[in-house]
Amino acid sequence: MKFAKLTKLTALFAAMAAPGLSKAEDTVKVGILHSLSGTMAISETSLRDILIFTFDEINAKGGVLGKKIEPVVADGASDWPLFAEKAEQLLTKDKVAVTFGCWTSVSRKSVLPVFEKNKGLLFYPVQYEGEEMSPNIFYTAEAVNQQATPAVDYLLAEGYKKFYLIGTDYVYPQTTNLVLLEYLLSKGIPIENIGGGFRKDDKGEIISAGKYTPFGHTDFQQIVAEIKEFAAGGNACVINTINGDANVPFFKEVAAAGIKSDSCPIVSFSLSEDEFRALPTKDLIGHLGCWTYFMSLDTPANKKFVSDFQAWLGSTSYPGIKKESRVTCSPMVLSYNGVYLWKAAVEKAGSFEVEKVMAALESGIEFDGPGGKVTSQKNHHLTKNVYIGETLPTGQFQVIKSFDGVVGEPFLKGTFKKK
Amino acid sequence: MRAFTVFALMSCWSLSSLQAFEATKGSEILAKAIVATGEARAKLLEEFGNESSFGDAPLVESWRRGEIWIAKLPDGTSEAVAYNGKPGTGMVTAAKLGDGKMLTFDLGQATASNPDRASRKLLTKVGNVIALKHPSDRNRSDAAKQLGLQGDEDGLRVLQELLPKQASPAARKGFEEGIALAKLKLASGADKLNAVNKLGDLASLTARDQLKGLLQSETAKTPQDQVLIAAIKKSLAAIESRQALVESGATLFRGLSLGSVLLVVAIGLAITFGLMGVINMAHGEFITIGGYTCYLVQTWFINMYGSSGTAFDNYFLVSLPLCFLAAALMGWFIEWAIVRHLYSRPLESLLATWGLSMIFQQAFRLKFGAANVQVASPSWLAGNYEWLGITLGWNRLFVIVFALAILFGTLLVMAKTPVGLQLRAVMQNRRMAASLGIRTARMNGFTFAFGSGLAGLGGAFLSQLGNVGPSMGQSYIVDSFMIVTVGGVGNIIGASLSALGIGSVDQMLQPLLGPVMGKITTLLAVILLLQWRPGGIFPSRSRSLEG
Repeated sequence: MKFAKLTKLTALFAAMAAPGLSKAEDTVKVGILHSLSGTMAISETSLRDILIFTFDEINAKGGVLGKKIEPVVADGASDWPLFAEKAEQLLTKDKVAVTFGCWTSVSRKSVLPVFEKNKGLLFYPVQYEGEEMSPNIFYTAEAVNQQATPAVDYLLAEGYKKFYLIGTDYVYPQTTNLVLLEYLLSKGIPIENIGGGFRKDDKGEIISAGKYTPFGHTDFQQIVAEIKEFAAGGNACVINTINGDANVPFFKEVAAAGIKSDSCPIVSFSLSEDEFRALPTKDLIGHLGCWTYFMSLDTPANKKFVSDFQAWLGSTSYPGIKKESRVTCSPMVLSYNGVYLWKAAVEKAGSFEVEKVMAALESGIEFDGPGGKVTSQKNHHLTKNVYIGETLPTGQFQVIKSFDGVVGEPFLKGTFKKK
Repeated sequence: MRAFTVFALMSCWSLSSLQAFEATKGSEILAKAIVATGEARAKLLEEFGNESSFGDAPLVESWRRGEIWIAKLPDGTSEAVAYNGKPGTGMVTAAKLGDGKMLTFDLGQATASNPDRASRKLLTKVGNVIALKHPSDRNRSDAAKQLGLQGDEDGLRVLQELLPKQASPAARKGFEEGIALAKLKLASGADKLNAVNKLGDLASLTARDQLKGLLQSETAKTPQDQVLIAAIKKSLAAIESRQALVESGATLFRGLSLGSVLLVVAIGLAITFGLMGVINMAHGEFITIGGYTCYLVQTWFINMYGSSGTAFDNYFLVSLPLCFLAAALMGWFIEWAIVRHLYSRPLESLLATWGLSMIFQQAFRLKFGAANVQVASPSWLAGNYEWLGITLGWNRLFVIVFALAILFGTLLVMAKTPVGLQLRAVMQNRRMAASLGIRTARMNGFTFAFGSGLAGLGGAFLSQLGNVGPSMGQSYIVDSFMIVTVGGVGNIIGASLSALGIGSVDQMLQPLLGPVMGKITTLLAVILLLQWRPGGIFPSRSRSLEG
């Protein structure tokens, strides 16, 4: 009954707003909740673009259950309480069937209670720290074991013995580094070979591992000197969870200090092709990245995806979309995968109802995405391929190692036992 | 063995330009290796190691930078060419790697080549052996240390062969360190003990991890073992104490360099706010104008000369005066259009310039996009110089010199030129100066433009250290006001001393408290200082703020 009401509302809205468009019963409302202004707009606008592209692609092929997708775009404006308000609006006023959104962990934490209270459904597409599993969120994102630990595995196999941890001071880097600390210790790396410093609580328990800087930090002289000293004896590498544009002064300082990727590689978890557009890629050559998708993947599915997206950019009339020098990156592809998984789940359930769709997702749905096959899991994460790549001067990654079918596991803290 | 001793061709280190070059045996092999893949490439690279000279090093560097392209020829074969332009279509001409002859090929069919990780690893070893004959002492000794660290017999033998040929003490030390490092891994008994002692004498930071590892693995069974353990402990202590000394020196240098950055950023404000009394909230955006001017000049140079090489490296020098001019012109216009109407109303000038700053930011966003833009550093700013174990980055040294030059330039203009005299007169007492026949309106415009121009210069320099984006000015505006206020409003020397002080305190606190707490503590100290001396360290008797 609720559904009939929704379609009626939609009908009313469509009749008022867009006379002459497709018939009202033929649409289903889908929310997009990203920051289109403020500090996060640089990254999140790309996700809005890819979502609109995906909806157009699906609509052109007949939509979902015969209904065209009608996007409702909400701007979180890099303001976390506003994210919660907008989520409330999407769920109670617009009555969207599903929402795709959020980038930072703090925005996801803000909207989580709203989605749980209103029994909504959110698809979250950006690598994150884990330790969370809401019944109303589906995480297409990379879990820590689909990014951080495979990267460490690779570095260990390459013979690196010393690990320096550095990140921006907020929940994602702090949690990831604590997990990595446990992981490295379990792999037999002695604690004195893990750099960046530790903070302990009263009982002597480590509560923070690694070096942290504020958002937008500009002076990395001291830290880079410390890294250089740390790496003087060879076999050292750096694990970088610095977020946003603070990476620019960091990598410029690294280059000036003469730290080369051959002797001391830096693996970054927050830098994708999209961020490289604003970074001095010359200073980044040979440093590593780890994602579940790279634009340079040489598969027919990816080539088609990239060229379709470029063609769509050329033809779309959607306002405010930048058309020049665009790239695709992992968060974009995970958003894209999310939409198709939702479509498949809706078709499997034969309904747009959140509970039925979630049950369909939990039963395991496969989709052949641009980054390879992904399968939804019972724990609301994805099984997917993980790729390690090194940075080229062009701002692209060259794949140097891939792990197939890695099962997403959100709860890792405390699972690694020290040998 | 042969791998390391055959250095057939030792050509000179003049191969810096790729436009035309002599073909060496090394470059021929490298050309084949680049076109090849997999096993064949690895084999050719090994051969390259045997046959190459240090004259080939720039080629390897170009390959890493993606400036070697693989051109497809009409007959189906491929050829490696040195091409550092942009991708595109159409026919272009570039030098072939194999024989240095010019080749015309279809750019649309060509692809940029990059060494994969395996190739780069091979090249590192090759590079170290090549660099043992590098003309610069530093490169030779660095290569010797790296080769020693790898600790294989071949490397040790090459090092021992080349040690007697080292004339300069610095290079000798590097080679000795390399030999001792290798022996630490390879030798035993008295030889090992000597190596340990030697590394202690040299206070070798490179050896620290190895020595620590040795200390853990050795067990004191025999008297010899005990002697060895004691020697390791002594060497480690020597290394640590040297490192503590180096660290304190390095902290001083970093404080000086951060202070210089702060001064470069704040000196423009020391004039517009300090001398003129305009609470200039748009100061940060004049810095941004400098940054974007630098970016535009860089883009123009890339289009004209490609993204590396001597011509490209000059872009930064060309951009400096342009950054000053662009920001100064904008400053002059703003003064004429807005600021001059508000001299008697400081609070309204605050609001007006704040609004102006937002207009500027949005304009940058519309013109250049919300994302930051890439500004690459010229190669002469990219490296570093090592002095007594302290790494001095060229960009950091340059900013110190640059800050001093700006400071003295400004002081000279103020103290020694007629313009400076008039300027000071106007700033001290506008009406009196006017009645003595000084054109105060023109002076105001000039001063504001000068201050804005200096901010633009600051922006040019910041583009070499950090981000260039629409909001880059915002990250420096608080620091700038803090420095001018702490130094004493209206006092340029005061501002420079406060920049230096704040920079040094920040760098000294960082190792102890970390970057987050360090910054908080610095700001707290500033608040306390201003409670104690509200006029700053050097309060001036300027009337500019009294309206």
